[in-house]
Amino acid sequence: MSFLPSFIPERASILADRFEALFWYITLTTATVGLLIYIFIIYCCIRYRRSRSPGTTPRILGSHRLEIAWTIIPTIVFFTFYGWGVAVYNYAFHPPEDALEIFVIGKQWMWKAQYPSGQRVIIGGNPANMTEAERASIGKLVVPLGRPVKLTLTSEDVIHNFGIPAFRSKMDVLPGRYTTSWFEATKLGEYHVFCDQYCGTWHSLMVGKVHVVTPEEFEEFLLGARSSQGSENPVDGSLAFQGRQLFMKLQCSTCHTAKPSARAPVLEGLYGSKVHLKGNRTEIADEQYIIESILKPRAKVVEGWEPIMPSYEGQVTAEDLAALVQYIRSLKRGTTLDRTEDFPVPVGAPTERPEPISPVKGKN
Amino acid sequence: MSAVLTRWGLSTTPPPEPPPAEPNYLNHNYSIWSWLFTTDHKRIGILYLISITLFFVGGGIAAGVVRLNLLAPNGAIVTEDVYNRAFTAHGVLMLFFFLIPAVPAVFGNFFIPMMIGAKDLAFPKLNLASWYVFMLGAACAAWSVLVGGIDTGWTLYPPYSTRASQASVVPGVLGAFIAGFSSIMTGLNIMVTIHKMRAPGLTWNRLPLFVWALYATSLIQLLATPVLGITLVLLMVERMWGVGIFDPSIGGDPVLFQHLFWFYSHPAVYIMILPGMGVISEVITCFSRKNIFGYAAVAWSSVGIAVVGFLLWAHHMFVAGISFYAAILFSFLSMLVAVPSAIKVFNWTATLYRGSITFQAPMIFALGFIFLFIIGGLTGLYLATLGTDIHLHDTYFVVAHFHFVMVGGMVMAYFAALHYWWPKMFGRMYSDWWSRLAAMIIIVGFFLTFIPQFIMGYHGMPRRYPNYPANLQILNVMSTAGGSILGLGYLMPAIYLTLSLINGPKASSNPWSATGLEWQTPSPPSIHNFEETPIVVCGPYEYAIGVDQMGRPLPEGPGEGGPIDPASHAGHPYPAGPVPKETEVVG
Repeated sequence: MSFLPSFIPERASILADRFEALFWYITLTTATVGLLIYIFIIYCCIRYRRSRSPGTTPRILGSHRLEIAWTIIPTIVFFTFYGWGVAVYNYAFHPPEDALEIFVIGKQWMWKAQYPSGQRVIIGGNPANMTEAERASIGKLVVPLGRPVKLTLTSEDVIHNFGIPAFRSKMDVLPGRYTTSWFEATKLGEYHVFCDQYCGTWHSLMVGKVHVVTPEEFEEFLLGARSSQGSENPVDGSLAFQGRQLFMKLQCSTCHTAKPSARAPVLEGLYGSKVHLKGNRTEIADEQYIIESILKPRAKVVEGWEPIMPSYEGQVTAEDLAALVQYIRSLKRGTTLDRTEDFPVPVGAPTERPEPISPVKGKN
Repeated sequence: MSAVLTRWGLSTTPPPEPPPAEPNYLNHNYSIWSWLFTTDHKRIGILYLISITLFFVGGGIAAGVVRLNLLAPNGAIVTEDVYNRAFTAHGVLMLFFFLIPAVPAVFGNFFIPMMIGAKDLAFPKLNLASWYVFMLGAACAAWSVLVGGIDTGWTLYPPYSTRASQASVVPGVLGAFIAGFSSIMTGLNIMVTIHKMRAPGLTWNRLPLFVWALYATSLIQLLATPVLGITLVLLMVERMWGVGIFDPSIGGDPVLFQHLFWFYSHPAVYIMILPGMGVISEVITCFSRKNIFGYAAVAWSSVGIAVVGFLLWAHHMFVAGISFYAAILFSFLSMLVAVPSAIKVFNWTATLYRGSITFQAPMIFALGFIFLFIIGGLTGLYLATLGTDIHLHDTYFVVAHFHFVMVGGMVMAYFAALHYWWPKMFGRMYSDWWSRLAAMIIIVGFFLTFIPQFIMGYHGMPRRYPNYPANLQILNVMSTAGGSILGLGYLMPAIYLTLSLINGPKASSNPWSATGLEWQTPSPPSIHNFEETPIVVCGPYEYAIGVDQMGRPLPEGPGEGGPIDPASHAGHPYPAGPVPKETEVVG
């Protein structure tokens, strides 16, 4: 790390390049205008100072043409900023479909990341208020070069913000809600992660590193062959596998079965599909929807089912939820249960499927 | 035109100077009760002036702790907890107890009645009540500091503020809540006064632009402050009784708080800056001896800012989890509010053109305002633009931006107002040389403090960080060095203004040769301001013709070396009016 900051901060993502282009467009435009006004003011202050113009002043009340000009021209310039800014924001706001997903959970005062393959790491935080196990797994967030990475962010307590200046990305991390941030790294190296939303005493220690590695190294990292994150963390199965264990442990499978006697909808193929809710509403089943359904089951009840599910609020941690979502996502049609033609489809079961669904018969 | 000129031509010499022993609002009664139970708008203005000066010093000390601590990357002087309390105290004191009341409650109180030719505000008792309510709020804030301080930041975001913070949040929030009522009372009072108590002939189009600006400010104070009150009550209810409003773990929505909070706090930045803009219009015209360029544009842009200012609160929330479409809408509206601000700057600049400019302290502060406000306004565009806000949000870039507007803009305007109206308020002149020097030091110190913060923020340094990467230390040291110059600059007026009260030369009733009605009263003003109701015959800035708003000729204008320094009058004093003159058209 150099002693002096460089002129343009390190750029390590596609968004960073887009940000810089827009930033410098605004800078050059506004600096030009600002300097012209400065020059005009200084010129007036020198040329029209009392000793140079001791006589009386002209009675000038204004000019409609000038007023219109300096209303319309700045407006047009501002809207070029606006349009370009919307384009960059649109890019930054919508992650591509095929992005690698990493769950990141913020809590006072550390970041915990979970990979779909099961790797976990704690990035940053104040070691002084961590458990021994947490301290042992402090490391870096490993991401591959040249591949879109989507972070699904949530918080266990207060609002945080996951920002990576080198990627020019930043997103608030809210309790009880899921936000996303994504980037495509373009440069190998290690970069700062900052918490940008004030979160209490050790806010300024809720910092860590993101480590951009080559795709090959990343594959080896995912397989557990390399510890690019800088700490040894045992991988106890993929995130979906952990979720499956939880699904059984919490007895979700008792009701969410494919048996005709099921008391709750089957969940296979649910993720990303359109769900019909009571009150003639529909909703796309995304992370937000699934997690809300676990924590507040009565808030959105699927058409055709009774609101009998108990709330799991307080019983599952944010990490558990990430694992459960990952498991439910992995439930493709027929992956866990057999099918049968004997029974009609439960009303309100996920509809948008590649082919007409057939009713299922439980094998257990 | 010519008919009016004839009327001006008929008027005689300037009013005679009042005899020295004339009773005025300061000397008619010296008892402490005559101050504590006064309903005189001038005395209440002075009470506010003393109070907010104390809070400014308090907020300034907190800022000093913050800046000194940032000298080292891991905190130079205090722990993280103390640092968090210091920046919160700085924000709460400066915003709720200095910037918001600064110009409306001090200069608005003191000068709005005088500028519109009234004896007092419409509701003098309400005015006194507003000061007591304000001091009660300040006492609550002081209570919270005495029991340990708040560590939430002035933005008070839950669930941190309602669940996690171990500090005494409730008294501090209660303080801001109570102070809000004072702001509503002042706004209401000023608005009614402007509507109902203008002198004969003082039509809306003849109002000084300071009055227009205060009118727009009052509109915001009246409509937005109740929302802050509601929000703060909800916050306290959640913190004290665990009613789930904002905390998601008990069923609340934390983003709802941000919407409510910014619905007040964004318009509140216009409560702070609009009165400052009004001051600048007064000072620029007086010290360049010109009519304001584009009176209607400057007046209506104040109202435009006040109205549009209500519609863009969510631009503080572009990365807070609001929807994409909400973001593009609020970005669009934020661009719109930049336009009236730009119009004002262009008009002030054009006012200087072909003027006859002198550089007494008020003018240097006013020019400093324009210089700094241009940077503050233009950097706001980076934050209103969605693509750049993602990275710059919650960094020192934002900190530098709003300090350029709030301190570079509003505090400069506050000092311009203080220096401009000081001779009227106290009847004494301060040191011309020291005041100019102080103005220059403040401008230079300001640039040195906050320009490095733009660079830090661009490099990603987050707000509210006592620990930061070592490569940003050099910029932080520069900023702290600039801050110490700025602190020195702020100390100087405290000294020479106080000295002027003791041994300053007596000020004439119109030392700047200004046109406003407030200058038609003696310095300091008599108890009821005007012996007889003034009759207004023309607009506010007829410097070119050389007549005041009552159509009487102006006294000899200030020379280059200051208005009271006899030696300087050998320089180039502006000739006394009236001078018949045709209106010229430019552009």
